[in-house]
Amino acid sequence: MPLSRQRRFVTPGPEETLEALAARALPEEPLEAALERVRGWNLHIFGMRQPRGLLLGSDVVFVEPPLA
Amino acid sequence: MFDVLIRGGLVVDGSGAPGRVADVAVNEGRIVAVEPHIDGGARRTLEAAGRVVSPGFIDPHTHFDVQLLWDGAAKPALEHGVTAVVPGNCSLSLAPLKAKDRAALVGMFQQIEELPPAAFTEAFEWTWEDFAGYRAAVEPGLQVNVAPLVGHSLIRLWVMGADANRRAATADEISAMQDLLRASLDAGAVGLSTSFIDVDENGRPVPSRFAPFSELDALAAVLGERGERMLQVVPEFYDTDITIARIDQLADLSLRHGIPTTFSPVFDSRLTPDNVPRTMARVEEQFARGARVWPQMQTRPIDISFSLLRPSLFFGRLPRWVRVLRQPLETRLASLRDPSVTDRMLADCGPDGGAAMMSELVVRGGDAAPAALVGMTLGEIARQRDESCARALINLSLEHGLDVAFVAASRGHDDTGRIGPMLAHPLMHIGASDGGAHLASFATYGDTGYLFSEFVRKAGALTLEAAVKKITSDTAQIWGLKDRGRLARGQAADVVVFDPATIGRGEERPEFDMPGDGMRYVRDAIGVDAVVVNGQIVREGGRYTDARPGEFCGVS
Repeated sequence: MPLSRQRRFVTPGPEETLEALAARALPEEPLEAALERVRGWNLHIFGMRQPRGLLLGSDVVFVEPPLA
Repeated sequence: MFDVLIRGGLVVDGSGAPGRVADVAVNEGRIVAVEPHIDGGARRTLEAAGRVVSPGFIDPHTHFDVQLLWDGAAKPALEHGVTAVVPGNCSLSLAPLKAKDRAALVGMFQQIEELPPAAFTEAFEWTWEDFAGYRAAVEPGLQVNVAPLVGHSLIRLWVMGADANRRAATADEISAMQDLLRASLDAGAVGLSTSFIDVDENGRPVPSRFAPFSELDALAAVLGERGERMLQVVPEFYDTDITIARIDQLADLSLRHGIPTTFSPVFDSRLTPDNVPRTMARVEEQFARGARVWPQMQTRPIDISFSLLRPSLFFGRLPRWVRVLRQPLETRLASLRDPSVTDRMLADCGPDGGAAMMSELVVRGGDAAPAALVGMTLGEIARQRDESCARALINLSLEHGLDVAFVAASRGHDDTGRIGPMLAHPLMHIGASDGGAHLASFATYGDTGYLFSEFVRKAGALTLEAAVKKITSDTAQIWGLKDRGRLARGQAADVVVFDPATIGRGEERPEFDMPGDGMRYVRDAIGVDAVVVNGQIVREGGRYTDARPGEFCGVS
């Protein structure tokens, strides 16, 4: 059985910063735009977490919006 | 002469096969015969006519690590028929841990499991650091069998110290973690647990959450090297997309290292009705690839009880409330009387004054609450008092020494018609009881009785035989527990004798039996006549015996 398409994600590399991750995940985007998109798609990190935006090594970071 | 002979019961052997009337003979801790009629005498005979005789139930998600040090029965789990428990879930165990790091672990246990501080200072002597030492301390007193996990957060803490919840590990540190995991597995741990969601008492993520996937991969390699050992995780269960991402990660680890994995909890909710269907669809796809990713689902609905006498899970999203409720009683009372504090607490509850979160809370009774209020909702009481819900909660509690308990009933996972088929799904692992945790929020005991009363007798979602299989041989197979989970010749003699017409769980009630007069909610067992562990009767006629036959389970 092939795997169905699911929302794409990446995980941070050791000590990888959010900027580096955004540039890696969305290389075609200008960095600021990539950062904005990553923040908007990952409210579990950038909305709900205290302290907000603390990127953890184990995080799942979505690189696209929820699938329709 | 047998040690124990159980006569004339309906033997439901854990295989899923139809029950049959038979005798069960036990010698030297093992089942030696299951036959329609067994001749010969026995030192102890249990008459089981009209009763079911089944393998002991196995609870795969508990936090009894600490309680087992003073209570080898994990009460009241054992009287519900649970003969084996898996502690050490969610990245937390009691070893390996250096003495200098004990305070950090106690803080995590207090936050995540709601254990009172006295549980760590009054109830046992903390003599060990490594896993072998923990085993030596706990195993002699066991009435129940134990198949412990070792916690990823502790492994990080041992190797990295204070940096465990600050940064990624170096290659040398990961290598040291692998060695420590090997030693723990060799000393009796059945696998590794990690958490993607838990925080410590200061709201800071627990150490396991600072580990990149590459670290988890390196530890999973050790699980495979030591022979298909289990990896347990607690994912971000509130979000289906993240849960599916975690399933995919676990599947990759399972396939790469040849290990079973499990995640818990999986909840059904009216607010997210597609959560379980989407989760199970992904699980089915990954199993079809050959991966083993077992979702765990609890049987009981989500009910949360609390008073302002103790911190509670109920306030998990209100850190200021948690901080106040963790203060010593006199300080807490002063804080709750101080408008500069309570105004901020109320502000945290939102512009509706906490109505959305608290209006359906019901006064439990049985404490200092006025009888006239018992059964009323906080919304009704707030209207009578012309206060917001949050203000009424604080003021009513203050008027009665904080000894007013509320219950938030049916907060989800309570639609039997939906949950029955989910539990019956062949890839759904029944567990996630959290036994021994969340002591001041809800009773984590009696889920097995509820499986039979609600989903076998009432809803008919599972047959008696299917339900027994789910919580005995299925669990043993998933976890690789050697010689457990079946009533068959040569198997360990873990046996439950119960009345299929009445087995269930009692009403939730407070019990003040924790160290330091700590309180927990419990449920009594209903319809369980006798429990046998490793061939010795540990519960009979509503009483515990003095036998201590429990042991660490071997893995196959």
